[in-house]
Amino acid sequence: MNATSFVRWFAFLLGLGVCAASFGSTASNDDCLSCHGDKDLKSAQGKSLFLDQEKFKASVHGQAEIGCTDCHADLQKIKDFPHAEKLRPVDCAVCHDKEAARVKMSVHMQPHRAENPIVVTCADCHGTHDIRKKDDAESSVFSINIPDTCDRCHLERVKIKNGNEFIQQYTQSVHYRALEKSGLSLSANCVTCHGGHDVKAAGDPQSRVSRRSIIHTCGRCHVGIEKNYLEGVHGKDYIKSVKDVPVCTDCHSEHGILSPLDLSSRVYATKVAAVCSRCHDDERLARQYGFLTSRLKTYSNSYHGTASKFGETRVANCASCHGFHDIRISSDPKSPINAVNLSKTCGKCHPGAGTNFAKGKVHVVSTKVENKGAYAAKVFYIIVIAALISVFLIFIAADLFHRIRTQWKND
Amino acid sequence: MEERLNESPLIRDDETFLRMNLAERLQHILMIVTFTTLVITGLPLLFYEMKIFKSMFAFEKAFYIRGILHRAAAVILVVNIVWHALYTIFTKRGRVNFKEIIPKFKDARDAWEIFWHNVGLTQFLYKKGVFKKFFDRHPYWLFKKEPEFGRYNFIEKFEYLAVAWGSFIMIISGFFMWNVELSLRLFPLWVHDIFVIVHGYEAMLAFLAIIIWHMYNVHLNPEVFPMSKIWLNGKITGHELRTLHPLEYRKILEERRKAAERAYRIKSP
Repeated sequence: MNATSFVRWFAFLLGLGVCAASFGSTASNDDCLSCHGDKDLKSAQGKSLFLDQEKFKASVHGQAEIGCTDCHADLQKIKDFPHAEKLRPVDCAVCHDKEAARVKMSVHMQPHRAENPIVVTCADCHGTHDIRKKDDAESSVFSINIPDTCDRCHLERVKIKNGNEFIQQYTQSVHYRALEKSGLSLSANCVTCHGGHDVKAAGDPQSRVSRRSIIHTCGRCHVGIEKNYLEGVHGKDYIKSVKDVPVCTDCHSEHGILSPLDLSSRVYATKVAAVCSRCHDDERLARQYGFLTSRLKTYSNSYHGTASKFGETRVANCASCHGFHDIRISSDPKSPINAVNLSKTCGKCHPGAGTNFAKGKVHVVSTKVENKGAYAAKVFYIIVIAALISVFLIFIAADLFHRIRTQWKND
Repeated sequence: MEERLNESPLIRDDETFLRMNLAERLQHILMIVTFTTLVITGLPLLFYEMKIFKSMFAFEKAFYIRGILHRAAAVILVVNIVWHALYTIFTKRGRVNFKEIIPKFKDARDAWEIFWHNVGLTQFLYKKGVFKKFFDRHPYWLFKKEPEFGRYNFIEKFEYLAVAWGSFIMIISGFFMWNVELSLRLFPLWVHDIFVIVHGYEAMLAFLAIIIWHMYNVHLNPEVFPMSKIWLNGKITGHELRTLHPLEYRKILEERRKAAERAYRIKSP
């Protein structure tokens, strides 16, 4: 008999013993219900100890015919009833060991805030006797019910750095609207992005919503967009782990993601320029990564930009010409602003746009350098306006001076 | 010394003359309406940062309506100009007025002289005995006499010219901004950019000229304050004619004198 078979035999015999012991002595569900089936049963503190049998039977554990003492394991040994009021907390890990291991590493079991740490147990999300499978519409962790379940703590009890309104923004989002209004269970809820058992603090590099991972997190549903993004200039830098590169949330916001057609969206036609210029008007970033600044200023000075500032949505914004998820540098032949593609790009709004669209600059920083004709016109007008207005004012002053003097003389 | 025109029995001070007929007044009113509309719907684009302009376009489709109004006003302005051109060519009064409004060298001299007359520096120096000999020899430099104006003084001629020039620039550049596809079929982008820049600056120039120069001359000027009513009733009195347009006054006076003489001769051969 080698060591392995000895262990096997030992385990088998032990199992037999446990079975035999429990067969003879453990309380059955009916035993429990003889007391806990009473609606008026209360603890010394007045807490109801009633167990709704129907609810339990409908639960996943009830249907699997799991006994009370399988979970309330410390009751297995107890023979004297009523048993002690204080029982050991149920340890789900006995069966759900994989999940329990993931929860253990999550922010829920390892609250990183020293004062007043809140430890979340399985029951806080899943419930107790009425636990249902996650694809059961009645379940507290069914996708449509997830926001309510998380909000039980995250609306008020748990304070976060960005303020709890930050979380509430989710209820305005296109994701929540799909979930709540349209009943689209596939839409993103808290767990879709943050993870369930292994949820991490957003600042944690291992979090699914960290800057490193967010692309793939969003890309799990928005597959095509992730692909586009990774082909573009931002995506290529993202792959190279450039830390300043914009990820999904930088342009679309986090919880309050809205459709680009929504007036309040950060990427609404008239607001795109403000989003892009957060980086593309930043001198430090421009120096570091070698791109041009004054993009917003030069855009605003153009008719497109001015009209956009006044709320006109049909004029070109950054994305109309540069694209959005797969923005490419102008030298890329696939870029919509590459000289060979300009007539097509401009032609989206200006039918019949020919090659003349390429003969001149769009973002004119200095007319002195980039458009001498325009510069000459500007200088001419500034001189003429200054000269004429001065002459006007001098003539008016002289006229008034004369009138006052004659009046004074006559008096 | 100063030769002043006195009231003549042939032209009473309270007699009224027609300075702007109905067509001219209508043209002017159309000009006011279209110009104001164009300024209100156009100028905010030059000052997009200013809150007051932003709040003007707070309601939905505001910018779209702005564009429609701007172009509608532009079309009416063009029609108005065409009307004025036809009126000038095909009516006798139009032709006479046009001949009168053509700037001449005298207008530059008038401006120069009235300016120094108003400043009165040389007269002041003369009184103080500075350069007395020079002024005695060249009394012109004392600018004692106010220049006399005809039907249109140098101010009005300048304004007319400015409107003609401004309209020309604004219509050409505006037309190509309106028809950007056509513009870019004909010109490279940098030329179109010049149209846009010129349209903006010319607008500023026109706006400032009207606000400062025209508003002073027809509103704030103590002579007419609070407003010259000629643009409404078209009438100018004999007194105004005598003081503001003495050359025209003299011309009418001369005509009447001759007519009177003729009548006298016929009566008593």
